[in-house]
Amino acid sequence: MNFTPSDLKNSRIFIFLGPFGSGKTELAINFALWRREFKEEVSIADLDIISPYFRVRDHMDYLLENGIEVIAPVRELMYADLPIVPPNVVGYIANKNYELIMDIGGENDGAAVLGALKNYLDEFEYTSFMVLNTRRPFYRDIKSILDLIERLASTARIRIDYLVNNTNIGRETTLDLIKEGERLLEKVSHESGVPIAFSVVPDFLDVGTFEDFKNKLFTIKRFFPNDQEV
Amino acid sequence: MSEKLMVKGTEAIAEAAIRAGCRNYFGYPITPQSELAEYMSRRLPQVGGIFLQAESEVAAVNMVYGAASTGKRVMTSTSSPGFSLMQEGISYIAAAQLPCVFVNVVRGGPGLGDIQPAQSDYFQATKGGGHGDYKLIVLAPSTLQEAVDLTYLAFDLADEYRNPVLILADGMIGQMMEPVEFPELRDLSTLPKHEWALTGCKGREPNKVTSFNIDPYKLEEMNKECQKKYQKIMEGERRSENYMIEDAEYLLVAHGTMARITKTVIREARSKGIKVGLFRPITLWPYPYEELSKLSENVRFILTVEMSVGQMVEDVKLAVNGKTDVFFYGRTAGVIPTPNEILERFEQLIRMVKV
Repeated sequence: MNFTPSDLKNSRIFIFLGPFGSGKTELAINFALWRREFKEEVSIADLDIISPYFRVRDHMDYLLENGIEVIAPVRELMYADLPIVPPNVVGYIANKNYELIMDIGGENDGAAVLGALKNYLDEFEYTSFMVLNTRRPFYRDIKSILDLIERLASTARIRIDYLVNNTNIGRETTLDLIKEGERLLEKVSHESGVPIAFSVVPDFLDVGTFEDFKNKLFTIKRFFPNDQEV
Repeated sequence: MSEKLMVKGTEAIAEAAIRAGCRNYFGYPITPQSELAEYMSRRLPQVGGIFLQAESEVAAVNMVYGAASTGKRVMTSTSSPGFSLMQEGISYIAAAQLPCVFVNVVRGGPGLGDIQPAQSDYFQATKGGGHGDYKLIVLAPSTLQEAVDLTYLAFDLADEYRNPVLILADGMIGQMMEPVEFPELRDLSTLPKHEWALTGCKGREPNKVTSFNIDPYKLEEMNKECQKKYQKIMEGERRSENYMIEDAEYLLVAHGTMARITKTVIREARSKGIKVGLFRPITLWPYPYEELSKLSENVRFILTVEMSVGQMVEDVKLAVNGKTDVFFYGRTAGVIPTPNEILERFEQLIRMVKV
């Protein structure tokens, strides 16, 4: 079945982190749009100090049109090759009227941003999601993913609350491929004790009766170029 | 072939190089291709290779020169300003006839430019960015699977012709993600043995790798030898793709990311009843002049689209040689032409040429 608001813990801060290119940004944008269906004050923070392209800030106008506040480097510096952490994110962490979705850059270098925000995050309830695509290089087996969880949690200085199965190969993704990711992450979850929040399904796939899926599902719209378009 | 993985363009090129038997990488990070170096730094030690971050691109290219002299598969990667820094070394490597692979993930320029995608290093890549009469084989992928395949091919071409090969990818190809299949890891014992390589001369006459001769007549002979090789490459290694050209009355010409975008334009135009096709050079040098020349005989005009102010369009004009009109559309500095703006320009030209 679908992942629903009742599956969320009682927190208003949602953190998406994980390895390079695992689909964190795309999921964070979709997650913000989903939360906006239930709440007026939703913000998304672009804390990606790693990626030169395909960031939350590249979709700023779309997000603003959809009533989501975007916390990102000022427009004049939005294309600068600089690791900017927008300082106003701290205000949104503290502001209880807002839900905050935090999109973190990949790997340890990206996760270091969270370490710097630890003192603020510790004062409020947050939920963190480690986003994984088991068809990405380097994280294709249980041990590498277990190491990653430990490594990122220590760099980010936060708890990892959930794993997210975002196993995909773009437009060629199939339901079987998503289930393949589920099977691997089930084992990781068993070993690490970190539960799986949901599996991500692109909106072009028909999940039918959900019967074969062990995890809950979260449907996303694709925001980044692939295949023919660019 | 293995199962499909979801990779970035930079990762696709890096892994394909390893599969092709490359075990030596020297480079210096620069956006938008730093992930290529990062991938190599992580992956090469796993396969017994050498990753070395040089103190600059100037140092990196000379490390490549040294490693290539031993006949081992070696590469570097960079982006526009870094590729400019490498030009002197590339000229030396070409003159010394050494096999190696360069990757330039092109960003907006000139000068420092920006980190967005561009195709404005075309002249530098194809006409010789360094000094002297030399040529690089230049391959321009437009999908990530093609980036894998061309990288694998690049090492074979480099060895076969004893010539540096350049993968010219714009930032979009470097940064986007697509599913790809990688070839199996090449068995290193099957790589070509180079008689000329500097491998230690115990028990044989020493080999010599050099880019020059102090005697102008002998240096001219060295030049002639290279030119003979370039001629052979021009005859045997031209590669291109035709898309929807069978009944085409108009022709678009584009490479890399722009070829993908113009395919969208072509589908849109055809849905409006306009018969148009695409010619996509895959080798930018040797440029597929003959192939394009033939196509140009049957079309009303040609529109070349680039992420530059117009560089490849000069080769298109050389190929067409006045047989039909050649127009150009481009954006610069990292701005990518959209399908809509290209279609608008194209339809405007159709109206203009009719009158």
